[in-house]
Parts: sequence; C-alpha cells; structure tokens
Amino acid sequence: MKNIQKTAAGSRDRVANGYRLSAIGYRLFCVGLIFIFQFSFFSPTKAQGILGGHVTGNVQLDGQMSHADSVIGADDVPEKLLMNARADILYSNGDFNAGLRLEMYQNPLLGFDAQWKGSGVANYYVSYKTEKFGITAGHFYEQFGSGMILRTYEDRYLGLDNALFGVNVYVRPVEGVTIKALAGRQRYYWEMAEGLVRGVDGEVNLNSVLSFMKESKFRATLGAGFVSKYEEDELIPSEDPTMRLNLPLNVGAASFRADLGYGNWSLQAEYAHKGQDPWIDNKYVYHEGNALLLNLNYSQRGFSAGIQAKRIDNMGYKSMRSLSGEMLYINYLPAITKNHTYAFLTMYPYATQVNGEQGLQADVMYKFKKGTLLGGEYGTDLHLNGSLVAGLDTTITGGAGTEGYTVNGGLGETLYGDVSLEIAKKLSKAVKLTVTYAYQVFNPVVEGEGHKGLPLIHNHVAIADLSWKLNKKHSLRFEAEWLCSDSYYDESDDHHSDRRAGDWLMGLVEWNIGTHWFISLSDQVPYNDGIGNYYNLSVGYTHGATRFQLGYGKQREGLLCIGGICRQVPASNGLTFSLTTSF
Amino acid sequence: MGLIGFVGLMGLCGCDKIEEGEYTVYDGAAVTWTSGTLTETPVQRVFVEKFTGPKCSNCPLADETLATINDERVVIVSINHPTGQGLPFPGEPDLRTEGGNKWDAWYGINAIPSAFINREKSVRYQGSMTNIVSAINQALNKPLILALDVHAENELTDVHVTVNLKFIQRYTKPITLTAALIEDSLAYKQLLPDGNIDEQYMHNHMLRKVITGFWGSEIDCTGNADESRQGTFDFNVGEDIHLENSHIVVFVSDKASRSVINCASCRVMNEE
Repeated sequence: MKNIQKTAAGSRDRVANGYRLSAIGYRLFCVGLIFIFQFSFFSPTKAQGILGGHVTGNVQLDGQMSHADSVIGADDVPEKLLMNARADILYSNGDFNAGLRLEMYQNPLLGFDAQWKGSGVANYYVSYKTEKFGITAGHFYEQFGSGMILRTYEDRYLGLDNALFGVNVYVRPVEGVTIKALAGRQRYYWEMAEGLVRGVDGEVNLNSVLSFMKESKFRATLGAGFVSKYEEDELIPSEDPTMRLNLPLNVGAASFRADLGYGNWSLQAEYAHKGQDPWIDNKYVYHEGNALLLNLNYSQRGFSAGIQAKRIDNMGYKSMRSLSGEMLYINYLPAITKNHTYAFLTMYPYATQVNGEQGLQADVMYKFKKGTLLGGEYGTDLHLNGSLVAGLDTTITGGAGTEGYTVNGGLGETLYGDVSLEIAKKLSKAVKLTVTYAYQVFNPVVEGEGHKGLPLIHNHVAIADLSWKLNKKHSLRFEAEWLCSDSYYDESDDHHSDRRAGDWLMGLVEWNIGTHWFISLSDQVPYNDGIGNYYNLSVGYTHGATRFQLGYGKQREGLLCIGGICRQVPASNGLTFSLTTSF
Repeated sequence: MGLIGFVGLMGLCGCDKIEEGEYTVYDGAAVTWTSGTLTETPVQRVFVEKFTGPKCSNCPLADETLATINDERVVIVSINHPTGQGLPFPGEPDLRTEGGNKWDAWYGINAIPSAFINREKSVRYQGSMTNIVSAINQALNKPLILALDVHAENELTDVHVTVNLKFIQRYTKPITLTAALIEDSLAYKQLLPDGNIDEQYMHNHMLRKVITGFWGSEIDCTGNADESRQGTFDFNVGEDIHLENSHIVVFVSDKASRSVINCASCRVMNEE
C-alpha cells in the first residue's frame, strides 16, 4: 500500500470520461467496423462526398491467439482471442475539418496495458484552419520545436496516446511568424488526466520577416516556447515521517531554438529548461531540469554527414507526478541512436533516460558513383553510423524533498554505444544485396533500475539482405542475420534469465507473388548459451488500399522501442492476423 | 523580441518556485503502524464536514438541522470558511485553521453553509440542509468495508492516540488516516437569520487543528479482509484549547479520491 504508483493505477476506478461504450454501443461499434471495411473493400472511391464535403478514413484490426510455451515463457491467453481495432473517420469541407476515432481493445493484445480494455470513441475534434488562423477544439496533437517541452502524439504499436483534449489555436499575423497557444488535459487510457497543460510557442522565420535577408543564402528560423502544467496538491511523504513534500503545483518548462542554414550546411539547436518538478521517477527531488540538443548536418549530391549531440538532466515532464511508465509524458526527448530495423539490431534497443544522459551520434552516407572501382556498374551506397550514450556524472545529495543531486562535469556510466556499417549494392538489374555489420555495447540498466549493476553486454551483428526480382510478377528476398553476444541464459539467476541471451542465427525467405500475395518464412535460433526457437510463417494479401496478413509462430519477449520510447512485449506462441484498409 | 518577452512573462506566471529549505512542510503527527485488534463492535459511521462562518446568517439553520441528528454514528466537523462571512467579528477569536482552509479550497467552497458527506465532493448540501438527514441515513446503511475505533490518553496537553482498524472487506487501493482536533461549546458571536447577532452563540464541533497531515498519513497495510492494524501517534493540544470540550476525530480515506470509508471519534481527556 506504500507504492505511490498505485495512485495512478487506482484511477481506473474513477469516473470515466464518459465516452466508453455500453454493451449496446460495443455491438454497434463492431457492426460499424465491419460496415466500414466492406464499404471500402468493394468501393474504388477514395473519398465520399457528403454535404458538400468529403469523408475519408482508415481501419486497422489486429488479432492474436496464443497458447502456453514454457520454453519461451509464453502464457495461455484465457480469452483465446485478443483484438485491437480502430477506425478513423475524417470529414473535411473547405477549411473545416472534423474527425473521430473509434477504438476497441477486447481484450488488448499481449504487451498492451490492461487499462486499455474497452471500446468507444477515443478521439474527436472539430477544426477550422486557414493560412492565417486555425483553431482545433477537442482532441489534438501538437509539438513545440523538437518536442523537448511539448509533444503530444500517439503510436498504436507502442500503445501510447497522450493527446490533449482542449483547445489549440495558431495565428500567422505576418508571413514567417507563427504563434501557437493551447490548453487541455491529456488522455489517460479511457479517462483524462487530472493535470492541466497550458502552452504558448512562437516561431519567426527571419528570411521572411527581415527584408535584407530575403535573398540571403543564410537561413534562420528562431523559436521559443513555454509550457506549464498544473496539478492539485497531494500527499507525498518525505524521508522524515513527520514531513510531507511542499509540491510546486505549477511546473513550467521553456525552450529556445534556432534552425540555421548556409549553403549545404544546417544547424538545429534547442535548449530547454524545466522548473522544479518532483515526481516519482526522479524520486521526488527538486533539482531543476535542462536539456540541450544540437544537430549539425552537411549534404551534397552523393554525400551527407551529420553529427548530433544531446544532454538531458532531469527532463521527464508528465501531467501526473505520481505516474511511472510511458503514459502522460507532456514532452518527448528524441533518441540520438540509429533507429535500426533488422531483428537482431533491435534486440537490445536503447531507451531514452529522461533522468539524465549525454551522447553523441555521427552519421555518414556516401554513394560510390557508377563506373568507379567501388561503384561498379550500378553504384554502391555506404552508410556509417556511430553513437555513444553515457549517464551524467552526479553526486547524490539526498532523497525525496531535497535538491537530490549535483551534476559534475564528467561522463557517467556507459549506457549504450553502437557502430554500424551498411553497404548496399545492386549486383545486377534483378539482384540487390545489402550487408551490415554492427558492434553494440548495451547497459541493461536502461531497461530499468532493477538491472542496475549488471555487466555491459557486447554484441557483434552481421546481416545479409538480398532482393531478387525474378520477373515482373515475382520477387524473392533472403535475409540472414548473426548475433554474437557475451550475454548468457541461466534460468536459476534472475539477472540472467533474459531469453534474448546467447548467440543467435536467423534466416528469412519472402516471396512476393504478383501485386497481391506474399509469403514469408523465418526462424530465429540461439545456438550458444540461449534458449528457444522462434519460427514464423506469414501470408499476406493486398487489394487496393486493403491489406490482410495472417501469421503463425513464436514471438520472443523483449522491448519494442520506437524513437527511444519502449514497450515491453511478452512472449507469445500462436496465430496473429491484421487487416488495414482506407477509403 | 516581443515574442520572447511574452514567452518569458508566461514563464514567470506559470511556474512555482519553492525555496531551498522549504521543500518539505510539517505533515503533522507521525503515525506508527503495527498489527492490532479492534476493541469495539464494527460499525459504519458517517463523516460530515460543515463549512460555516460567524457572519453567515443561514449557518445557524444548518446547525439546527444537524442538531436533530442524535446519532453517535454521525461524526461532524465544523470548518470556519477562510474569507467573507467566515471572517471573525472584531475582537473575537479567529477559528480559521490552516487545515480547514486547505479542505475549503479543495472543495472550492464559494457559499456557506455548505456540507459534504464522507468527502464526496460532487454532492453538496447548502442552506438549511433539510435533505442531508436522509442522505446521512443512506450512508449509514452502506456495507461496512473497514471498522475503526480511536482512544486517547492525555498527560496535561500531551496526548497519545491509538487507532485500531480492521478490514471487513478487501480494499487494496491506497488509504490514508487523517486525525483532527475539534472543540465544542465555544461561545462567541454569530449572525442569526433575523439579522441580529447572538453574542454567546454556542459553536460545536469546531475544527481546531488537523493533527496528521492535511490529507492524512498513508496506512501501512495490505487491505485484505480480516486484516487488523493499529496506528499510534502523539501530539500536543496547545494552550488555547479546552481539553474537557475537545474530541479527536479520525477518518480513513481512499488516497486517490479522498472519499471517506469510515470514521470515529473520542474525547481527548481520559474518560476514567
């Protein structure tokens, strides 16, 4: 009962926001989804004319059946069938737009929080937008700058939606000047968070505003934003049992940014500062937050290079101070590690450490031209990327209800590092080969404090990806991956019972048949100090804007990360299917 | 530049700054939890908060209504509204309290008399409150989730308090215990419905002090049915309180919603 997190969990029992559907509504919702799907499947029309405007939309339905498998750690699903579904319906008529989104989690897919369970209208809005002025009332998504003080977004694969419900306004009084203002509360599963979020943001394009810069090669856009959240007072005990925290009810965050360019060069810089914000994940300390993001790029035909630097100190910013996890973040702290897509490169993904991290990323792309020694007949693409993220060097000065810590000038412990080299070469008109080698250093602590003190994991990854266009209708893709890791599996040791452990091999064959069908077969097998055998067979059919996919196989437990934001995915063993369509 | 100035101005307005040294505030008596045994028969009581003021002419009507409820299971706390009709007459004692002001602000009291049952924020009783009696009876008949009793021992103004509680039903959400000191028979000026002032109006159940933190102290328990816990704490009454007229009121609330689950009271002075 001492766990503060239960404050948030307990909120499930509070009065709902009033848009979750009753049993009758649920049936109507299901019928509606089926109707929308049929309507779109058989109709070639992309937008439907209604009342002088147009209706568009899209539908996605994902289902899963899984049964127990003690080797991979999969549990039985009591419901037998889990399903996530959503339908976005958009109406536009000139400058006027309206939309709503129906969502259904009956029950949520494995890895999605149980609080998603339910169905109903999850998002609705009306908006009027012109070049000079715009207003949205209802649910909306917004971002100030790079998002370090405000970014509301949804990601259906991560099970995240922190939309604001309120009013969002922008004005462009003169060309090159944009001012935004908003106020609202964030979506929290099927409810609204108690915290109130207010913000203003302004951006000036100097090339538009200053006459002497109109023709200049130097490009400059300056911006600044401010966000404030308000939460009611609550009981947060301090380490002294007779004292409680004197909480700041209004917590502000401000940022200043510049987007500069000259010729082939560009520089984006943003600095953010956050006021005192004691919350659960910073252990309720009063240390103020700050963040700096720099991004320098050079690009020309056939060559580009960039370097990114980031430093974060206590920049987690939520509209519910007692809530841990990924929900209800007001801001977004971009990751500066490469967003990998191959299976073994994403096995140990990096999760942004909002309490403190500092890092660098360098990226170089070069195209060897056709007819050169290394370019050959069709040219060769080379992509080299490296990143290193470390913690802050801090000295702890106290716990809850204190400044918490001081930051020293050096580097903290290594959190993540990788170097990857990707070479893509077209071998003939029909065959293209991409080979990748990567070396990774991964600190398990990025997955949570429970992993603190575990040794670093070092991985070598090699990948070959070959596409072969057999003829106009058929193509094949082969993928082979190898992972060599110093992690090992030991079921008797909590710290080493991670089923990712060991050395792995993977093979994949994909056959695209015409424009409609594809079949894919893959298998991931650990061959040294690991456990499990993860095979998958997928069949897909595409017709116009509609795609159906059916799969059977095993899913390894682990983290799914997109842009540094992660969701724990449990092991599963069984059937999956998905259907997407738009109209 | 004007834009940056505007954003800066917003920054100054929208951000609270807590000075170093003020990061924590006194949260009242520290409650120590051990296993315990309920010493009284389990009973559902109801907690009534009445917001009042000496310059509120309708407040005596509410007092009359509540006085008709002659039931020991009804625990009443009168809270002096911090502004307007709650301000004291010149030369009269000021019965506003820091805890009462916090509770008043949480409810958003803008008119008195106002009353709430079991801290259910959404249902407010105002004016003469004739309909509050049936609501209290309904609350008394609710299924019992948790039973509690409270006992006090004093040595002059130092008081040792023991609270016993037992879960009758499973309740696993975080809960808090709040203790307050109330005083009866305070005679001071009160504006009456006819516009006259009663110089010696008898004010009862007046909140004098929140003993624990304003929003309570979290109870160390699992919430399983039949679990019993005992909480103990000490406090000093202070010199301006009449011990013989004072009671300790304790109530257990859901930490998130602040709804009161059950309550109890006892005299401050040793009863023997």
